Amino acid sequence: MSTANVAMQVGRTTRRAVLGGLSACVVAPGAMAGPAAWEGVPAVAALLAGVEPRRDGLALQLPALTEDGSSVNVTVVAESPMTADDHIATLHLFAPRNPSPEVAAFHLAPGLGRAEISTRIRLNESQTVIAVARTNKGEVRLAAREVTVTTTGCLVPSDQTTAGVMQEPRVRVGPSLPAEVRTIIDHPMETGLRQDSAGRPVPERIVREVIATAGETILLRAELFRSVAANPYLRFFVDGQAPVELQVTWVEDTGARVSATVQVPAA
Amino acid sequence: MSTIVHAIDRRGALSLLAGGAALGVGRPSLGQGAAGRVIVVGGGFGGATAARYIRRLDPAVEVTLIEPAERFYTCPFSNLYLGGLRDFESLGHGFDALRRAGVSVVHATAEDVDTAGRTVRLSTGDTLPYDRLVLSPGIDIRWGALEGYDEAAAEKAPHAWKAGSQTKLLRAQLEAMEDGGLFVLVAPANPFRCPPGPYERISMVAHYLKTNKPHSKILVLDAKDQFSKQGLFTDAWAALYGDMIEWVGLSQDGKVVRVDADAREVETEFGNKHKAAVLNVVPPQQAGLIAERAGVTDDSGWVPVVPATFASAKVEHVYVVGDATIAAPMPKSGFCANTQAKVVAAAVVADLAGRAPPAPVWVNTCYSLIAPDYGISVAGVYRVMDGKIAEVEGSGGVSPREADAAFRKREADYGAGWYAAISADTWGA
Amino acid sequence: MGRMRAAFLAAIIGMPIATASGALAETDATITLLAAGCANCHGPDGHSPGAMPTIAGASVDVLKAKLLAFRKDEAPGTTVMVRLAKGFSEEELIALAEHFASLKP
Ligand SMILES: Cc1cc2nc3c(=O)[nH]c(=O)nc-3n(C[C@H](O)[C@H](O)[C@H](O)COP(=O)(O)OP(=O)(O)OC[C@H]3O[C@@H](n4cnc5c(N)ncnc54)[C@H](O)[C@@H]3O)c2cc1C
Repeated sequence: MSTANVAMQVGRTTRRAVLGGLSACVVAPGAMAGPAAWEGVPAVAALLAGVEPRRDGLALQLPALTEDGSSVNVTVVAESPMTADDHIATLHLFAPRNPSPEVAAFHLAPGLGRAEISTRIRLNESQTVIAVARTNKGEVRLAAREVTVTTTGCLVPSDQTTAGVMQEPRVRVGPSLPAEVRTIIDHPMETGLRQDSAGRPVPERIVREVIATAGETILLRAELFRSVAANPYLRFFVDGQAPVELQVTWVEDTGARVSATVQVPAA
Repeated sequence: MSTIVHAIDRRGALSLLAGGAALGVGRPSLGQGAAGRVIVVGGGFGGATAARYIRRLDPAVEVTLIEPAERFYTCPFSNLYLGGLRDFESLGHGFDALRRAGVSVVHATAEDVDTAGRTVRLSTGDTLPYDRLVLSPGIDIRWGALEGYDEAAAEKAPHAWKAGSQTKLLRAQLEAMEDGGLFVLVAPANPFRCPPGPYERISMVAHYLKTNKPHSKILVLDAKDQFSKQGLFTDAWAALYGDMIEWVGLSQDGKVVRVDADAREVETEFGNKHKAAVLNVVPPQQAGLIAERAGVTDDSGWVPVVPATFASAKVEHVYVVGDATIAAPMPKSGFCANTQAKVVAAAVVADLAGRAPPAPVWVNTCYSLIAPDYGISVAGVYRVMDGKIAEVEGSGGVSPREADAAFRKREADYGAGWYAAISADTWGA
Repeated sequence: MGRMRAAFLAAIIGMPIATASGALAETDATITLLAAGCANCHGPDGHSPGAMPTIAGASVDVLKAKLLAFRKDEAPGTTVMVRLAKGFSEEELIALAEHFASLKP
């Protein structure tokens, strides 16, 4: 991956804008769970590998209360200049009380201009969601946020399901810089844990990767697991200092691929 | 009694003891043998019911109800008004019957609560003391949470999610709309007041348009991928209104991110713009603002409560009912506000008398009218299980997907029966 | 309500069996609260102003038979009562039948 040219595109203004915008987002101490919330989560412990994470510079935004655990908006924001020398390299999301705690892992390149990613996830029950970020220099940060998940009697789940194919990709690029990119694709994200109406198990079928490239450069690679909500949604930024053609590719666990291409900045 | 305390929630038991401890110390109304003073804020479904039932259970308790409106107009059945099936006045309920039941009704707004000194300050300038406070303030709109949607915008693109002038404005816009126009409804993510409400509204608007402006279309832009009683609604829409109604969910770019009320135009997450002849925005909501003033809300903007009693989980001597609370799986319905208020009435009366509250059971039935003779419902029975509110297994559920016209007609009639009954039960008329 | 009935109800409603007479009030309050939930559709104290039947002062046998049939899904064509009755125990439904039968019609 060639990051050098992308790094040069990150000017000082961008850097300051990133930091300035972030201060408002950083989660207040009260909203953070104590260390106990993540120490007992093997997947998180494995990732930390004994390193004590910083508890600042990373924010996890989720609604405190949701009445629909099948699709919960989550945004992870890290404080970072996103230069070649100093950037967030990976972001991991965990939902420890889901059948499989790992939700997604994002691999970021400096050309994103901003270390901020949103997606929609499944939450089986109320729990503390955890994000872990690692910089290119190996520094580790952790953020946690408690979410109450309820359902209401008026919200009897519908028996309608999404067509079982990957189709209709949509990508939208916002007008200002760094450019906000929103993506979505139709896909059921079958967990493999469900039974059909005849009681037969429905096999796992998920979109396992979403890759955003500008020419030769991979800007973002998102590994998705079964706790990502149906019709996977991803929002990220591209610094857009030089115009690029952004290609987004969705890869199913069957190997099937779908791609869409857009101009950044938006034409 | 002490054995029964174990049957109720821990917090409930604690506040009960604290209530006992307060006896005699600076609380003259309790210390001198009177049964106590209760202030109820809000004269809607929850508040009026609580006031009425406290008086029924213990006529010695002094109950003061604070509600700015002299006549309360209900959201339930306001969709029927929009559909042309009801006149507006039939939605109004006065407070005379509550006065006759011995409730002192004060038409004012509660501006602040001092939970330490146990007083409520009113817009009239008066400050009233209480032994127990019941809040049922309903919802407030989170102005600005949806870009472009503020109070001024609501005058052009009404929400009509609190019944009154907003409801009349929406009806007037519908009446003024030309045949062939597009009615756009913007539906919010959960949680919000009345989960089936937007879809009943669509049905009633469709009924009006089919009857009066048959070339018109309806577009629902939804921030959710599924909604209440979805299969029943969509079956009926197809059967009764053909292709008049189009519903677009979250994954199909149904989430509106910007509203231009002047142009009556909305923009979705993926950049689609829709221009409406009539634009109805059901915006994001939170507990009525007085709940925040009283310090009973949490991070989410809603109110956590002790399940068994609906006492505030945060502040002593305060009970909260209705839409303002986090009571799921119970929905934010008038029906639930009413049954929660009865649980609170029993708990408050027991609390003041130093007794344990009775074990609660809550019931809900939400009727929705899709056409004059076509009703559907969702029902549930709820109890406290493992310290949480839960739906009793095997109970409740929605109307059958396959049912004949007579069944749908009966549910339509029962819906009207429900409205008459709950109005009588809540306001006495 | 008799003392036996009260103890019986206390048992089925999940409260400790009360022997002291003071517990009668608690159990009565439980039934009053249970019955209050019916008013939303059947009107205050079971006097219906609309399409639902008035249940105040109805025959106790008829009320019992109906409620138990709802609970067992043995009332074809019923709209919501088959869904609601399943949320209550047989003993609670019998107590409700007795409560509404005892009210003035
Ligand atoms: C279109 C629509 C259709 C609906 N249909 C149904 C239905 O068919 N069935 C059903 O069960 N539910 C229905 N609902 C839901 C129902 O309206 C609410 O759940 C119910 O009103 C909640 O009761 P509440 O007491 O919490 O709030 P409300 O009934 O809204 O009462 C709150 C009251 O508090 C007062 N208040 C607020 N702040 C203060 C203050 N600071 N001082 C003094 N007073 C204050 C307000 O003026 C208001 O009168 C519908 C809702 C909508 C929008």
